[in-house]
Amino acid sequence: MIVYLFRVFDKQQLPYFFVKIQEWMNHNTLWLLIVKPLGRRKSSSAFAEIAIGIDIGTSQCSIAVWNGSQVELLKNTRNQKLMRSYVTFKDEVPSGGVSNQISHECEIFSGVAIFNMKRLIGRVDTDPVVHASKKLPFLVQTLDIGVRPFIAALVNNAWRSTTPEEVLAIFLVELRVMAELQLKKPIRNVVLTIPVSFSRFQLTRIERACAMAGLHILRLMPEPTAVALLYAQQQQQTVHENMGSGSEKNALIFNMGAGYCDVAVTATAGGVSQIKALAGAAIGGEDILQNMMQYLLPNSEGLFLNHRINEIKLLGLLRVATEDAIHRLSSQSSVQVDVDLGNGFKIYKVVTREEFEQVNLEVFEKCESLVTQCLRDSKVDIEDLTDVILVGGCSYIPKIRNVVMAVCKREELYKEINPLEAAVCGAALEGAVASGITDPFGSLDLLTIQVTPLGIGIRADGNSFVPIIPRNTTIPSRKELLFTTTHDNQTQALILVYEGEGTKVEENHLLGYFKIVGIPAAPKGIPEINVCMDIDASNVLRVFAGVVMPGTDQPPFMEVRMPTIDDGHGWCVEALNRTYGSTLDLVTVQKKM
Amino acid sequence: MSVSLLPIDHLSMPKAFQIHASYFNPYRTISRCRLKCSPVRCCDRRREGISVRTKKNYYELLGVSVDSSSQKIKEAYRNLLKKHHPDIAGHKGHEYTLLLNEAYNVLMAEDLRTKYDDSIGHMTVQFGTNNYVNVKGSSSWKGPLRPQALFVDENACIGCRECVHHASNTFILDKSTGCARVRTQYGDDEHKIEVSVESCPVNCIYWVDREELALLEFLTQPQPKQGYGVYGQGWEKPANVFMAAKTLSKQLRQQAENNHNSVRTAVEEETPAQAEARANASLKIKMESFSKIWDSLNEIFG
Repeated sequence: MIVYLFRVFDKQQLPYFFVKIQEWMNHNTLWLLIVKPLGRRKSSSAFAEIAIGIDIGTSQCSIAVWNGSQVELLKNTRNQKLMRSYVTFKDEVPSGGVSNQISHECEIFSGVAIFNMKRLIGRVDTDPVVHASKKLPFLVQTLDIGVRPFIAALVNNAWRSTTPEEVLAIFLVELRVMAELQLKKPIRNVVLTIPVSFSRFQLTRIERACAMAGLHILRLMPEPTAVALLYAQQQQQTVHENMGSGSEKNALIFNMGAGYCDVAVTATAGGVSQIKALAGAAIGGEDILQNMMQYLLPNSEGLFLNHRINEIKLLGLLRVATEDAIHRLSSQSSVQVDVDLGNGFKIYKVVTREEFEQVNLEVFEKCESLVTQCLRDSKVDIEDLTDVILVGGCSYIPKIRNVVMAVCKREELYKEINPLEAAVCGAALEGAVASGITDPFGSLDLLTIQVTPLGIGIRADGNSFVPIIPRNTTIPSRKELLFTTTHDNQTQALILVYEGEGTKVEENHLLGYFKIVGIPAAPKGIPEINVCMDIDASNVLRVFAGVVMPGTDQPPFMEVRMPTIDDGHGWCVEALNRTYGSTLDLVTVQKKM
Repeated sequence: MSVSLLPIDHLSMPKAFQIHASYFNPYRTISRCRLKCSPVRCCDRRREGISVRTKKNYYELLGVSVDSSSQKIKEAYRNLLKKHHPDIAGHKGHEYTLLLNEAYNVLMAEDLRTKYDDSIGHMTVQFGTNNYVNVKGSSSWKGPLRPQALFVDENACIGCRECVHHASNTFILDKSTGCARVRTQYGDDEHKIEVSVESCPVNCIYWVDREELALLEFLTQPQPKQGYGVYGQGWEKPANVFMAAKTLSKQLRQQAENNHNSVRTAVEEETPAQAEARANASLKIKMESFSKIWDSLNEIFG
């Protein structure tokens, strides 16, 4: 046996090596290749590359890194730990909220800046969240045909079109440059926090934005699970200090920022945070803000949607005033809003906390239902909850605190955590753990066991969604299900992969589709098609489909990495249905008990 | 089918599973022989998946005894994940973590666990290798499995409670038989156990091989006696449990050999696809030894 040993010193040379090796393969009978990229070895050494943690919030971003003994939040040149997430297109070069010096708050709301990109990323123009975003002081135009919305900033009185990915990438580049300057080394790997309710398609958009910014995503962490990891670390440290027993602790984590509300239940023992259940929805401070703006300035619908320059300015002023009023209502029982918007619009109103809570009743009800749902899914009794943790900007709202405490039957909330920095700290911890860093004091002796926030399955039995990996399944996970053909001598079958919770496919997100060909001709119901789904620890979904039929030599088999679609809309499925009808359909095989 | 031939030993469990796992690991095969990638794998994988499924024991995988509480299982699961989770062990931990997750899910759900216990109960009758552990009255293990185990010959025991007195976490007095038996192997420290063994006035506490323990504990339990009509029914247990164990293990060995032979004929009929899968797996094992060489080379040349 001939053995070739290569030491590949430069990762860039790898593709070249593979070409060479393929040439050799044709000449040599037996060959063996051992490639051990240098990067991997490096990660076990002391000079390992630590992945940084980034929390891209709808309104604020932060970045943190494990500095060898603890998590450190990085500050920008203006000494801010939390930086506003926006990008202005005022000059030739767009600039983001990391480095940009804004002369006045209202400038952000004058149409030159794009913000709230996390609410818009990966959504089509039929999405209600996109429709709600039409009231933002930049252009969000929808045509309700299921494609990406037209998003544009006002530059020199003309609309400059952009995409949420582009805006996010510009922002991430600024973050990266800032971090590289401070840490004095190149940064490549990141752990990003994401909302629980993000679909896999939205995750690919985040990945795309990171790729544009030259960042590689090591892990995408649902925000409350990042908080859970930080909690696990804190609990482990208290155990070390007290030398007490490391008994299991259950915690409910409620995270509500400007764009999203997420809930998680975690069981923690010995530095392991095992997520029991996740729940989330696209509701947040932005909804509260818009409800209040509507309340302060009724009958302004038309005004919001025209997007004329004067009106954008007016909107900006209203936004600032409303935001301020909401913040003050967290500590006062009533506030006075007195603002002159120009154009003859004047607001003089006293708003009480009761009014505020009445206006946002729906939002609070949704929060309550999320907490209830998450608790039910986790199968953890309320009495067994050790701590209830509230994080995110909206956790300062008294009503939110009361709602969560009431559902969990608690008098007090967990106090040892900074509500605005918890998620990014957790992400930085995960970054260090997943980069293979260890800490002599055991501070990084941590692990987070994640679950899938949404079910994944395929279309079968007509128009039904048949989940293969259900919601709240521990990952890594691999599950399989048997399907069969619906027609006699059907030689092809279409596998349509969806993600979501609805029983019908239309209610779920399409992730992709592919075709299995070469099924042996047989009466319907005879060929067995095995569809297997595999999610690894970095949340990559692979779908395997193969025909299982005794007596066939080379039955077809396919492995596909999801998602495959690149546009986020279901047009292609409609076209497929038109062309093929039900000729390529599958039905589930009932399990033989 | 060759999978079921692999010897399953308590201690080498995780390793053995990794070898199993390599059979139905789609990535590895694909990345290694992308050009020769055979489309048969799915069907293959499934067949092997089934044989692995019937063969692997979730309790052994998690290193817990059959009567463990869910709290214990949880702890064991988390400790194992801390070693093998891909976040810590890298991508090679993927397959093993999949198995751990599956085992944990089954054992933590009450209904699934009962069902599973039933299914391995059947295995006890069928294969009778290591699965006597789920017999009622068997001892559990504290800490890691060790080669030697304690066993009380109940036929000789006079129920003096000496051993229970000296090592109360290890021995208990079985009220139904009036004899002492081992509840938890190594439940006390070694000194206490030694004292209790010494203190037995009739010397009925024995150190036995771990492999024998299950068999002995199984035989100590009274078995229903084959009756003829209404006569001779009831319960019996062997007078000399050690002799009985010897006989039974001999029988089992023969049975296993027969199984072995029948499996071997099955192996001879394996399809080319299976042959390839097997070749892949052995290549994988060889690769591992090469990577060891590689590591040592690296250490030398830095």
